[in-house]
Amino acid sequence: MTSLPPPGDGDQPPLVDTPIVPTTDPTAAPIIDTRNERLDDGVNRCPRCGATEIQLRPSAGMLICLFCRHEWSEARLDETIVDGDLTALSGTVVGSGATDIDTDVDAVMTMKCAGCGADVVVNTAEQMGARCHWCRHVLTVNEQVPNGAVPDAVLPFKITHDDAMARIRQFAGKRRMFADRAFLREFSPENVVGVYMPYMVVDANASADVAGVGEVQTRRYTRGSGDNKETFYDADVYDLRRHVDFTVDDLTIESSAERAHMNAAINTNNVINTILPFDTENAVKWNASYLTGFTSEKRDQDIDHVRPELEDQLLSIARSQVASSVGRYDRGVRWERERIDVHGSRWISMYLPVWLYSYYHERGGKGMVHYIAVNGRTGEVMGSVPVSHPRLLAAAAVVGGVIELLMIAILVAS
Amino acid sequence: MIATVLAELLAAADDDGGSAWLLLLGPAGAGAVYFGMWRYYRNTHTSHAFERETRIEAQPVTGHDGKVKEITGTKRSRIDGDNRTDHRRRVRRFD
Repeated sequence: MTSLPPPGDGDQPPLVDTPIVPTTDPTAAPIIDTRNERLDDGVNRCPRCGATEIQLRPSAGMLICLFCRHEWSEARLDETIVDGDLTALSGTVVGSGATDIDTDVDAVMTMKCAGCGADVVVNTAEQMGARCHWCRHVLTVNEQVPNGAVPDAVLPFKITHDDAMARIRQFAGKRRMFADRAFLREFSPENVVGVYMPYMVVDANASADVAGVGEVQTRRYTRGSGDNKETFYDADVYDLRRHVDFTVDDLTIESSAERAHMNAAINTNNVINTILPFDTENAVKWNASYLTGFTSEKRDQDIDHVRPELEDQLLSIARSQVASSVGRYDRGVRWERERIDVHGSRWISMYLPVWLYSYYHERGGKGMVHYIAVNGRTGEVMGSVPVSHPRLLAAAAVVGGVIELLMIAILVAS
Repeated sequence: MIATVLAELLAAADDDGGSAWLLLLGPAGAGAVYFGMWRYYRNTHTSHAFERETRIEAQPVTGHDGKVKEITGTKRSRIDGDNRTDHRRRVRRFD
C-alpha cells in the first residue's frame, strides 16, 4: 500500500481512558463503574447544613443549597479516569449507567422518605426527584436502576433561562416576515423548557476501507459549429482503494428512539441534533439535584439499538477522512464499496442540557411540532419556524414577475 | 393576451439566436425565492456535522490507484454518481 498525505491536521486534544471493572460473566462487556457511591435514593443533604433544598446554579455550573447558599460540584467524570490511548481500545466497554434496559423495571419508582417515612412516587420517565408531600423534604433518584433513567454522567446547564429566551426571541425575530401568523400571535419564548436529553457518548477505535472509481480529465474539445457546437471530454479512469485507521473521541448519539427518528417530512428532530456538539468532557458524576427545576427524558435505547448508527457515523467520518487523498480526480470520484471494522468502543450514557421551545402547528389536517432548540452549554440555536405559504408565494411571485419584466424589456430592446 | 405576447417574444427570441432562455429566469427566480426562504425558516437540511465537530485522530491514509481504462468523446463533464463530498450517502458494504 502506498502512503498518502494525512487528511487531517492531527492537532487534537489529549485523549483519556477509563478504569475497567472486570465482570464475573466472561461473555459480558467490561463495565466501567460510574456510580456515585456518596449518594443514595431518597433524601440527599447539603454537605454543610443538611438541608435538602439543592439545585443547580447554571451561571456557575455549581449545585447550591438554597438554605445556606453553600456551593459545590460533583467530580468530573474525566477526573476519575486514567489517561490513555484510544488506539489501544478493544472490545466493547460500557459505563454502568449504559447497560441494557431491563423492561421489567418500571419507570415509576416509590421511595421511602427518610424525613417522615412516607412513600413518595417518582416517574423517572420525566423527572428524577420529588418533594415529600408530608414533610416537604426533596427526594432524588441517584442509584443506577436498570431502567435507563440514571445515566453515567450529566452535563449541567450553563445557559440560563433568560439567556435561552433571548436567543430564541432573536432566532424567531429574524424569521418574522414569512412566518405563520398564528405562530407569531402565540409566540411566547418564556415557555421555553430546560430538558436533559439522553445520549450515548462513544469513543471508538476503528479502521475503514473504501473502494471506487475516479476520473481525471485528459482533454476537452468542441465539435461542430454555430448552434450545433458540442463539448466533448476524454478522461482516464482509475480503480481506487483507500484504508484509514482512526479514533473518535466523544461521538454523541441520541439514545431516545423518538429523538433519533429524524424525518423532516413529519418532525423537526433534526434541529435538536443540529445544536450538537456539547463539551462532554466537562460532564460530572450523576447527582439528581442537577435536574431540579428541569425535566428529563429517559433513555429507551440499548447499545445494540444504537450500534448501527455508530457504524454509519464512523463510515461517514472515514469517507470524510479519505476525501483529501482523491483531490486529483477532477471529474469526481464514485465510491462503490465500503467497510468499517470497529476494534473497540466505549459507551457512556449521558444527560445533555437543551432549552426547548415547542409549537404545535396544524396545516391541511396534518400536525407537526416545531422546535427551537438552544444548546444549554454553548448557546447555539437552531429551529424550525412554520411558514405562511400565501405570503411566501406572493413574495416569490413578485420577485419572479420583476425578473420576467426585466427579461422581456431586454428582449424587446434587442 | 399576456400568453400571446410571451409566445410571440419567445418565437422572436428564438429566431434572434437562442435567447429564449431569458424568459425562464422569471419562474426560476420565483422558485429560488420560495425554496430558499422556506429552507431558511424550516431548516430541514441541518444536522450535526459530526465529521468535522468531533475529536478525530486519523493515521495517514493508505491506498492504491490503478488506471483501468480511458474514456474518449464523452459528453459528460463529471463522473456518473460522484459522491466524493457526500460522505453520508451509504454505498454497498464489502462482501
